[in-house]
Amino acid sequence: MKRRAILAFMHDRPGVLNKVSMLIRKKMYNVDTLTVCSSRVKGISRMTITLREDDIAKVTQVIKQLEKFTEVISAKELDTNKSYWREAAIIKLEVDSEHLKAFKGRYNFEVLDKKSKDIQIIQLAGSTAQIDNFLDKVGREHIIEIARTGVTAMEK
Amino acid sequence: MTGKEKLLSALKTKGIKYIFGYTGGAIMPVFDELENYKDLQFIMSRHEQGAAFMAQGISRGSLSTNNPQVGVCIATSGPGAMNLTTGVADAHMDSVPMLIVTGQVATGVIATDAFQESDIVGVMMPISKQTYMPLHADDVETTVHEAHYVATTGRGGPVLVDIPKDIQNQSVSKKYHFDVKGYRPVLPGYFYHPTPERGPLERAMKLINKSVRPLIFCGHGVVNSRAGNLLQQFAEKVNIPIAFTLHGISALPADHPLSLGMMGMHGTVEANKAVVEADLLISFGMRFDDRVTAKLDEYAANADVIHVEIDPSEIDKNVATSVAINADVYRTLRVLLDDPMLTYKPRRRWFKKIDEHRKAMREALQGEIDGGVGDNGKLLMKTIVHQLSLATKGKDLIVPDVGQHQMMAARFYNYQTENSWFTSGGAGTMGVSLPMAIGVKLSRPDERVWSISGDGGFQMNMQELGTIMEHQIDIKMLLLNNGYLGMVRQWQTLFFDGRYSGTPMLNPDYGFIAKAYDIPYLKVTKVKDIRPALQKAIDQKGPILIEFVCDPTEVILPMIPAGGGFNDMIVTRPQKEKSVSKRKKKGNKS
Repeated sequence: MKRRAILAFMHDRPGVLNKVSMLIRKKMYNVDTLTVCSSRVKGISRMTITLREDDIAKVTQVIKQLEKFTEVISAKELDTNKSYWREAAIIKLEVDSEHLKAFKGRYNFEVLDKKSKDIQIIQLAGSTAQIDNFLDKVGREHIIEIARTGVTAMEK
Repeated sequence: MTGKEKLLSALKTKGIKYIFGYTGGAIMPVFDELENYKDLQFIMSRHEQGAAFMAQGISRGSLSTNNPQVGVCIATSGPGAMNLTTGVADAHMDSVPMLIVTGQVATGVIATDAFQESDIVGVMMPISKQTYMPLHADDVETTVHEAHYVATTGRGGPVLVDIPKDIQNQSVSKKYHFDVKGYRPVLPGYFYHPTPERGPLERAMKLINKSVRPLIFCGHGVVNSRAGNLLQQFAEKVNIPIAFTLHGISALPADHPLSLGMMGMHGTVEANKAVVEADLLISFGMRFDDRVTAKLDEYAANADVIHVEIDPSEIDKNVATSVAINADVYRTLRVLLDDPMLTYKPRRRWFKKIDEHRKAMREALQGEIDGGVGDNGKLLMKTIVHQLSLATKGKDLIVPDVGQHQMMAARFYNYQTENSWFTSGGAGTMGVSLPMAIGVKLSRPDERVWSISGDGGFQMNMQELGTIMEHQIDIKMLLLNNGYLGMVRQWQTLFFDGRYSGTPMLNPDYGFIAKAYDIPYLKVTKVKDIRPALQKAIDQKGPILIEFVCDPTEVILPMIPAGGGFNDMIVTRPQKEKSVSKRKKKGNKS
């Protein structure tokens, strides 16, 4: 099913996140990712929600119902081609340094910590596909732990 | 000044006259303060659910008066607040403005599973329009004003204000100031759009002028924006018939020549056939609920749809529109009526077709209505409602419960008074009638109010007979007793091969119950006694309970089966029932 990103701006009040997540559950979606951060304006948060849905009418319904919340100032779907969707990941790997170095040119990761000769913690930012791709190439069997932020997005 | 004083003075400022509810530990400070507010009359319900429906009755009843009021209900924390939820969810589904005030445990013990603590803000969130919990006495007054504003603007709905006990007692700070007159809510995320835009209006008018078989839908928004009279003028101006949603009933006189009556699952043949045959649906203030549309993929397949609706999230939700007008119904009709672009057409073929359906419908029913009894000699609900309509000339206020008798009351009462039909539509809550009729009566004291219930629903909030007794609320209670949950039984007859599982019920002696509450009581078993009993209720002052012994095999037809389409409409009574009663007899013998 098609992955959709909804960007919403809302008042930073207790319970708003609860309302948004309840609406998405009520509409029978499983949230793919959900990120919240403060916006340029004090007291206003921005939220990026990704979920999977092929039917545009159903996505429009979710957006209209989000906008109905007293706290939500605006909500819209972000067109894949007209916006950047990015996430960051922190990855603890059990991997030989030399093996990792081979990817340095193609993936712009940073080594945060080298626990021992073959255990390292790195950080990497990019599109979901880029991060997935990196993990596939390095080899997922090397992952000890991984933390991904989920998608945050912005229009071009 | 303390939080509790700010709460009650704010309610008084907003024109509240009645507060319905039940006290308890966490709301005691407010109740204590209430003694000092003689303008706010407290009515104690016998269960919090009753209070929520009484509050709804005030909002629903008063909206068409010169002094619309918002119903207020109040309860303590935990179980008290939880008991309100059904009435709140019901108000939310039916767009009824309401303020709910609940006491909460003190801030120091919130989230410790304190005695009678429940997260009522969390519970109410998905079933209300907005929820608040002021955490300082300084915030109470603003919160109540904002809550009132949110409840009453745009599409109405219930709003919760949950106040911790210590905040009720807390004094406002020294620098506290609130400018009642100058107050404007600051809600940048809250929009409603009352004025229609020119572009969609013009497209709509073009479609209306072009259409050959158009049909108007009158929904709840027509009643809520008090646009019934305008809708009637509009329909006459363009000569288009009107079908009603359950909540659209009583927006304009039911016997208007352009009226086709109710549409949908239990709608009239003429209304439902017109929906199928129409080439244009012009819908005002409704949400295309599944009881209206039946099977969606077959709905209005050949028609354009114009949708006038104040809540943008209802537009294109269930039915795709050709023209969407996100605006207030009253304002839209005002503009349409004054526009010279709209033209009158005789539409002779369209009306001829509709009249044929109307005739078929009348022939199918008139015999039953006139006969008044079923095969077993027991009374028919449709006859009782019809007789009530005659006895009151269709002018009284009707508050049905939920079930078969509700559909009978929707179909066979000839509504003449604007906003005279009050029902639980979206939620379909049994037990609503008795408490809601109390609220309606208090909001319209000079009009006669009839509460019509089945034996199932009556017993769900029967405890409110205590409230009726205490305040001598003058409502006429009609109990249509058939010893079954009639609507479910009807489904069992039609779709479950006559297996009456969970629907028969042993009833108490309602005469004794009425006597216990000192309420006059009559029991009617014969057709000839219906009218005199109703007349007695009309002639006497004060509450009265009339029990009618009704035929459990009566069905409300037509009916579109759940999941079916308009072409699956059942119009004539099935003959299955006889074989069922035979089988039942055999079972009894063995």
